[in-house]
Amino acid sequence: MLIHKDMKMADVIHLNHHLLHVVNRFGIQLGFGEKTVESVCEQHEVSLAFFLEIVNTFHDSSYFPVDNMKEFKAGMLVEYLHRTHQYYMNFKIPEIEKHINDLCLDNSLEEEIKQLLSNFFQQYKFELTTHINKEEQRVYPYVLALENAIETGNNTDELIEKLKIFSIHDYEEDHDDVESKLFDLKNIIIKYIPTPKDSRILNVILHEIFELENDLNNHGHIEDQILVPIVEKMEKELTARIQKNVQE
Amino acid sequence: MISPTLQILIIEPSFLIREGLKTLLSQIGLAYRIEEFEFTVENIPKLIQKTNPKLVFLNPALLSDKEYFNRLEASLSEIIFIGLIPLEVPLNKQSQFDYLLNVFAPKAELIKSMESILSKSGILIPDNDSGTLSDRENDVLKLVALGLTNNEISEKLFISIHTVMTHRKNITRKLGIKTVSGLTVYAILNKLIKAEELKGTIDN
Ligand SMILES: [Fe+2]
Ligand SMILES: [Fe+2]
Repeated sequence: MLIHKDMKMADVIHLNHHLLHVVNRFGIQLGFGEKTVESVCEQHEVSLAFFLEIVNTFHDSSYFPVDNMKEFKAGMLVEYLHRTHQYYMNFKIPEIEKHINDLCLDNSLEEEIKQLLSNFFQQYKFELTTHINKEEQRVYPYVLALENAIETGNNTDELIEKLKIFSIHDYEEDHDDVESKLFDLKNIIIKYIPTPKDSRILNVILHEIFELENDLNNHGHIEDQILVPIVEKMEKELTARIQKNVQE
Repeated sequence: MISPTLQILIIEPSFLIREGLKTLLSQIGLAYRIEEFEFTVENIPKLIQKTNPKLVFLNPALLSDKEYFNRLEASLSEIIFIGLIPLEVPLNKQSQFDYLLNVFAPKAELIKSMESILSKSGILIPDNDSGTLSDRENDVLKLVALGLTNNEISEKLFISIHTVMTHRKNITRKLGIKTVSGLTVYAILNKLIKAEELKGTIDN
C-alpha cells in the first residue's frame, strides 16, 4: 500500500511501525493527533514530496522512486542520510553492543564463544564506521559543495580541481555493501551458537540485527538510486558551465 | 536453498498477474531480484543485456515476431524462458519456451509446477543436498577460515582454482555465510579449527 499525503500520520505508523525511526529523522515525533501526513510535514517545514519518497521506499522495497526525484535538493537528502548515520552510530550499534555485553555475563555460555561473537561484532562496527566516515568526510561535503556552486553561481578553483579527479561515479563503483557481515552474523546466531541458559538476550540481538540490516538496505538503496542520479545531474550542469566559461 | 542473487525478469502486461507471480515466487522462498516490464518485445534483447536474468517470465501474446525471438533465444541459451499462458496459445509459440505456466491453474497446482520448473532448471536445489558439507568442502572451509587465498588452497589440496571457487560457492550456499571472518567463526564454533591456529597460518 502506498503512503500518500492525505493519510493520517497515525495510520502510517499503524501500517508499518518500523517507519517511526524514519519519521523521527525528519525531526517529527509522536503525538500526531488526527493530523494528515501533509499537515505534519507543513508544521515541521519538511518537503512533502521528499518525505513521501523516503517513507515509501522504506515501506516497500519494490517501490520505485518517482521521475522527478532529480529535482530534490541534495542538501535535504544529505541531511536525511546524515541523520540515519547518526541513528546507527549513536543508537543502534550501542544498543546491540549492550546486549552482547549482557550475553557475555551469561555463565552458561563458553568463554570462547562469547569472545568470538563480540570480536565479530567489533569487526563489523569498525567496517561500518569506516564506511560512514568516508561518506561523511569525503562524499557528502563534495555533494554540498556542488549544490552550493550551482545555487550561488560561483565555483571555487578548489571545486573545479576536485571535479577533475573525482566523480560520484567513483563513489558508486566502490560503494561496498555493509550488510554481508550482518547477514553472516544472523546465520551464525540462528544456526550455530549453542543456546545459553537464558535465550532471550540472543533473541533480542537477532531481532536488532534484522532491523539494522533492513534499515541499511534501504539506506544504501537511497544512496545508489536517489543520491547518485542527483549528483550526476549536478556534475553535468557544472562541468558544462565551467567549459562555457573557459571558451568565453 | 537458492543462489542469493537470482535475477528474474517478468514481461507481462497485467499488473495483477505480475503481482500474483511475485507472491508465488516468494511463497516458494526464492530470494530474487525482479525487474518488471509491461510491454515491448522489441526491447527484450536490451532488457536482457541490462538485467542479465537467469529466468524470464514472458507472456506469449507479446511475442509477435517469431523469427526475432528465435534468434534471440539462440544467443541466450543459458536463460530459461517461461511462458505465462492465460489462454490457448498456438503451438508454434509454445515451442519457443522452455516451460509453460498456466495462470488459471489453482494455487496448489501452480506451486507444484513452479517448483518443478525451478528444480528441473537447477535453480531450486532440494534441501537434503544443502544440509551438510562434504569432506572436501570441509577441507576447503578449514583453509579459508585460516586465511588462505584461493591460490594457496588450490596448491595445498592439488585442485584447480576453479574447483576451489566452486567449493566456496557451495559452502556459502549451504551455510548462509559469505565473509571470510564469518566462515572463521563458523569453523571455530564447529571445532574445525582452533582459535590459536589462526595467527600461525596467516604468518606462514
Ligand atoms: Fe551512508
Ligand atoms: Fe553507504
